[in-house]
Amino acid sequence: MKLKLSGTEKIDVSSKFLWNSIIDPKILKECIPGCHEMKEVSDGEYKIVLNLKVGAVGGSFDGKVKLSDQNPPIACKLNLSGGGTLGTGKGYAKIIIDEKAKGTSLMRYEGEGEVAGLVAGVGQRVLLGVAKHLVKKFFSSIKVNLSNNRSQSQ
Amino acid sequence: MKKKNYYFITKNRRPTEDRRFVTGQGNFVADIDRPNMLHVAVLSCHEPSASIDKIDFSPALKIKGVVDVITGKEIANATRPLMNGLDTPNVKRYSLAFEQVRYAGEWVCAIVAKSRAIAEDAAEKISLKTTSLKFVLDSEEALLPNSPKVHKKHGSNILLEKKFVWGNVIQDFKKSDHQISYKVNWGRNSTVPVETFGVVAEWNAWKNILDVWASIQMPKFSDHIAFVLGLRVNQVRVHYDVDVGGSYGVKRGIKHTILASYISRKLHRPIRLIEDRLENMRAGDAHGPERKFDVSMAFDNDGKIRSMKMRALDNAGAYAGRAPFQLGKPIGAIVGPYTISSVEYTALSVTTNKAVQEAVRGFGQAPTNYALETGIDKIANFLNIDRMKLRQKNLIKSDQFPYIIPSGSEYDSGNYQAVIKKVFATKDYNELIKERDSLRNKGFMAGIGIAACLEPSGGNSSFEPLLNSKNNTTTWMESCQLNVDAFGTVTARIHTTSSGQGHESLVSTIVGEMLEINPDEICIARPNSIESLPGNSPVGSRMAIMLGGAAARAATKLKDKILLISAHNLGFKKSKLIYKKGNVFAPDGSSLSWNEIVELCHRRIDQLPEGMDPGLASFDIMQVPTGGKLPVNDKVHMYPCYSFEFHLVLLSFDPIICKPNIRSYTVGHDCGTVINPSIVSGMTYGGIAHGIGAALLEEFAYDENGQLMTQSFLDYLMPSSHEVPEIKIVKHSTPSPHTFFGQKGSGESGYLGAPAAISSAINDALSPINISFLSLPIRMSLISDAIDNQNK
Repeated sequence: MKLKLSGTEKIDVSSKFLWNSIIDPKILKECIPGCHEMKEVSDGEYKIVLNLKVGAVGGSFDGKVKLSDQNPPIACKLNLSGGGTLGTGKGYAKIIIDEKAKGTSLMRYEGEGEVAGLVAGVGQRVLLGVAKHLVKKFFSSIKVNLSNNRSQSQ
Repeated sequence: MKKKNYYFITKNRRPTEDRRFVTGQGNFVADIDRPNMLHVAVLSCHEPSASIDKIDFSPALKIKGVVDVITGKEIANATRPLMNGLDTPNVKRYSLAFEQVRYAGEWVCAIVAKSRAIAEDAAEKISLKTTSLKFVLDSEEALLPNSPKVHKKHGSNILLEKKFVWGNVIQDFKKSDHQISYKVNWGRNSTVPVETFGVVAEWNAWKNILDVWASIQMPKFSDHIAFVLGLRVNQVRVHYDVDVGGSYGVKRGIKHTILASYISRKLHRPIRLIEDRLENMRAGDAHGPERKFDVSMAFDNDGKIRSMKMRALDNAGAYAGRAPFQLGKPIGAIVGPYTISSVEYTALSVTTNKAVQEAVRGFGQAPTNYALETGIDKIANFLNIDRMKLRQKNLIKSDQFPYIIPSGSEYDSGNYQAVIKKVFATKDYNELIKERDSLRNKGFMAGIGIAACLEPSGGNSSFEPLLNSKNNTTTWMESCQLNVDAFGTVTARIHTTSSGQGHESLVSTIVGEMLEINPDEICIARPNSIESLPGNSPVGSRMAIMLGGAAARAATKLKDKILLISAHNLGFKKSKLIYKKGNVFAPDGSSLSWNEIVELCHRRIDQLPEGMDPGLASFDIMQVPTGGKLPVNDKVHMYPCYSFEFHLVLLSFDPIICKPNIRSYTVGHDCGTVINPSIVSGMTYGGIAHGIGAALLEEFAYDENGQLMTQSFLDYLMPSSHEVPEIKIVKHSTPSPHTFFGQKGSGESGYLGAPAAISSAINDALSPINISFLSLPIRMSLISDAIDNQNK
């Protein structure tokens, strides 16, 4: 089944700081919900291991994330693919960062995914809700993370 | 023998099996625990069609407790493909996918470990590399020349295509005043037993025997296992004393059993494989018919239906399974209870990238009944005749039996008018119409549903030679053995598993009846397959007729021996003696008691007639009554008995939420002489509940990417006590001339007519606003959307 997600988040850091953070595997590992492992395997390519629970099913997900169409610190495209006990999934997300005022960035994202297996069959009715929830959790973690990092660096 | 005053038959006796089931003391496959047993979990592929490029299971083998990982390649090298009964050598199916997966959820690897939990964890570590291939889901699309082929080597997606013309269809259509054409769809649903499939297999290399305990309802199970594994049949010991937690057709389990048995032979350890619900729903033998019908009916102004053309296109799923033959059974009742004099029938079965279809209650008859009954309602609507009047016009009359239908089957007996009359005496038709109209006046959508259907019974396999000319099977026998021990107690042996049909009650009641002894004191034993006489298991509503028949015939043989011994000892001709409650009385007042006769059989051969064997035992291998012939000119007589059911339903719903509320459900049921009324009522009640599910809720729905969207009970909705109303069963008995007591089959009752009746009621409810549904299930959201769309 297909999933579509889009949204806008306001984050109180400069676009450059935000860009560097979202391509930092260490920060991503801390902020992606359920992320157990995130390793850069080559330039712009990451290996990721997630542990997730969707509706009545839970399990692990081994995937690859690849960055393309990079235009730092403004835009990039994330391509995701992988699989595990929960099923398989692939998709992409386009990200555009716009520094509205100094130290305040607006991040717009738009993505589409296709999932198969248990997660599609069992989790379908909650899948979109869970996906939205995970994205929300990701951004709230990244906001906390960045504000901590910023205060440490200041 | 047709006597009216029975000792035990027709009496409301508590089923023998109830004690252990009600107290939770059944012995199911999950209760079988063998020393050193290993457990199996399976890894499935999520793609609807993909080539298997690489399976790396080395990380799984590193996990403590994991013993082995088996792939499809290993299985394909070591076993024959599973049998399917068709002449399709290039549609090969193994326990595990070999080289290619053909539906989402298909098993790719089996992981063997010390516990099921370890095996499941290890499954996560296996890396599976596949390349996606094009797939096809829709049966019409599968027919197109450029559609992806599920089995490339087979060359097309067609498993079976056969057109029959019985009678002068062209002329009858020409002569008729009118004709209508319509399409109806039967959604892919199933029976969903409480217990999923399970098997324990144990190879004993020193005895050269494979022991199998399995949750099965499957004919010729040990033959199939032996053939696929390359064993002799007498090396496969299937234990029939395993209780089966529901089946209604789907408990086939052959791929599971081959897998577990192969692993057991390889590792010399007992192997247990029990499906979890997700495995069962996605890739077990859970799916039933998914069928598209194109029907034309030709009829006159007065409502007389002359002829019918029906094309049934069945979506078999990825492999052959039993699906194609489920297009065959309905041929035995292709005109339902009506006097339609000619029929053209096209049976078409295609492979698609969906889970494999297996046998389900009615073996394809319920969809056909739904297609027929929808047509009857449509003709009534077309001619503006009352639906009941139209049915009465076309129903076979009681003086027309035995009635031969165009496809060659002979309906044994029936009195459809009497059943309908009894139903209306319970629920007056005109009152029901008034009730419906008053509901409509209150703002409800309200409708009356009607279905008059047949249940062909006595399970024969004549459809096999009819659909596959290389198959020349003409018997589908069943057996029973009786033994009276030296202390005079009786043991009956039956040679099959039971999945809730009450066979122990059936046999003890019949043997008790015949020998005039207390059924509760008869022991029913279930030997394993090696110790058994030939049989074909409970399929096609056959056991009351066939197992009951074999038991009655074996008891007759036993009684015959008793009378011969008595004649010899009492000095009278056999015909002068009277058998009563185990004792034999001579005209001069002398007698022999049961115990005396037993004593003679077991200890005094000197007092038996010369040449007679000692002991008191008998057996019977019974041929299906009226069966035994191969088809001639595409015609064959199929089933010995035809049970009749007449459903009358009133339901209503509000036009916003549209949740159907079944306000009244009455069913008239005639299955001849009833052996145990509470078992028959239970089957009918359960069958109607099952039919309500098929009509309103249940569907294995796939999305456009070939993913099964209804794999758990969150999404695969089943009727509960909220949806199943109180059902009034009105009983009638027209005995069959072909069976021992006049009994007919009832294992599929209720289900064969309920979906048609519910659909008919919903369409009647929606008729004032010109909406109709020609596809099952009719989910409440579809109704409310349709009304909403019309209001826009």
